[in-house]
Amino acid sequence: MLARSQWPALPRTGLPPTQLPGIPGFIISSFSPLAAELAQRCLRQCFGDPPADAERGGRTAIVLASSTGDIATAAAIASAVDQGRAVPPLLFYQSNPNAVAGHIAARWGLAGPVVCTIPAGAGPSALADAMDSAALLIEGAEADAALVVLADQGGPDGDRGVAVLVGPAAWLQQTAPEGEATAVRDIGSMSGTP
Amino acid sequence: MMTDSPAAAARVAITGMSATSAFGRGTEPLLAGALGGQPAFGPAGRFSVQRRRAKAAAELPGNPVLADELAAVIGAACDQAGLAPPERGSATLLLALHTDAAAARGGGAPSVAGNTPAAVAARSGLPDAPRVYATACVAASTAIADAAAMIVSGRAGPVVVAAGYLVDEDSFALFDGGRVLARDGQVRPFSWGRQGLLLGDGVAAVVLESAASARRRGASPLAWLAGWGRAGDAYHVCQPCPEGSGLGLAIGAALRRAGIDPPGVGYVNANGSGTGYADASETAALRRALGAYADEVPVSSTKSVHGHALEASALLEFVLTVLVVRAGRLPVNAGYLAPDEDCRLNLVLGAAREVSCRYALSLNAAFGGASTALLVAAA
Repeated sequence: MLARSQWPALPRTGLPPTQLPGIPGFIISSFSPLAAELAQRCLRQCFGDPPADAERGGRTAIVLASSTGDIATAAAIASAVDQGRAVPPLLFYQSNPNAVAGHIAARWGLAGPVVCTIPAGAGPSALADAMDSAALLIEGAEADAALVVLADQGGPDGDRGVAVLVGPAAWLQQTAPEGEATAVRDIGSMSGTP
Repeated sequence: MMTDSPAAAARVAITGMSATSAFGRGTEPLLAGALGGQPAFGPAGRFSVQRRRAKAAAELPGNPVLADELAAVIGAACDQAGLAPPERGSATLLLALHTDAAAARGGGAPSVAGNTPAAVAARSGLPDAPRVYATACVAASTAIADAAAMIVSGRAGPVVVAAGYLVDEDSFALFDGGRVLARDGQVRPFSWGRQGLLLGDGVAAVVLESAASARRRGASPLAWLAGWGRAGDAYHVCQPCPEGSGLGLAIGAALRRAGIDPPGVGYVNANGSGTGYADASETAALRRALGAYADEVPVSSTKSVHGHALEASALLEFVLTVLVVRAGRLPVNAGYLAPDEDCRLNLVLGAAREVSCRYALSLNAAFGGASTALLVAAA
């Protein structure tokens, strides 16, 4: 594991605010902002500021898993249809998880395979399933590394998620300055998955 | 016959398949419809389209139920593969599905995939699917690639990949709102004057397994999955890269895995959604991956007759590509009006073309630049 992030972040000095930043063009639902923020926090630990260097980014896959899927967008579409209102065009673009995966890929220059899934289980088993998806890509030489994002929407505890970057250990040793490597270890030792 | 080359050892046997489309239930109507080149589009009949800009879709008559249709194609595919009910319990099920309309309305399902996955597994005698693939228009091809990776790595025995989409009001309204549906009621891939895509029913299942597994069970491969590749554009949220970078990489990866050069490809069943940007990008991808041979290889998009089945489309097209390789006849790229400078390809126009085709590519591309290439080899 090269890096890890989670949402909500544990209270810790120096972490960014607890509100999810919006993404231009994405409306109504927190699903895509959640996935993008998890990715941002995770990738920055390994790659620094975006984009990733072309060679590594070109061989990094994205696995975006969600036990729930984007419930809020699906509900907004259903509501518009049931009430006879026009469906906002922007919902078309964000109606499948590929859109935010594409946002992450374009921002960070990740050109590996894109896999979006709804694992049957939740919490740790959903993350384990997403890690299995990443393992298939890496062991089959379809990618050298994979950003694995598990983003779950709603529920009694609100939006929750975790992101993990898995890949060659050499990437961490060669790229992360000392301070960031320490941060990676700290975050990597945090307990709890959504 | 299998050889000892690494590429041959990594091939995956396709031992059973079935499909349902607007042409009817089973693979025969699907192949006949594609070879006949008469599109299955008509007035969308399951809901009112009075307020929509577009009016057409490719639908089965009536209101079919997705779980019923999935159970039927899975049963037929397993029967063809000789996968008897006792063996199904130890097989793996991978599903690609669209958002469930009831789940979107708070139907108590755990996810937007709804209750269909559990119902389908129970009715098919298969274990629950570990996940549902939701990668939009490459969901089903991603499931096929994962199945192949699981099989060649020894993680899985027989894998049943199934996918289904039935034209629904939510998607129609959504795509209409996004202004991507063809208002002229026809899908015209790679053609001047193309207006966009049209939705179509698509439900399909395939049984994949290793050559050794097929031999052990006495199953005859219908064809082989000789290679697969997937990659992303890293370009935009929804627009494809104009240079076709992701799809080009995916095609290259599929050919390398199979150990063949571009001239070995006898047919391309293109993604060909009939939308402006995407068809031009796909043309660029073919040129990038196949070089000058992109001018020669016969290409058609069968979406021009069966429509776009969203998460299930890649599986419907994969099944059709296997049928085409077996039949030795290439389906028509229907709806064509006139050349588009950005889409110069050797399209199959007018009537089905007779060929002896050893390898065929089935291509798919989706939002976010996600791209897949599946290479089918004749048995």
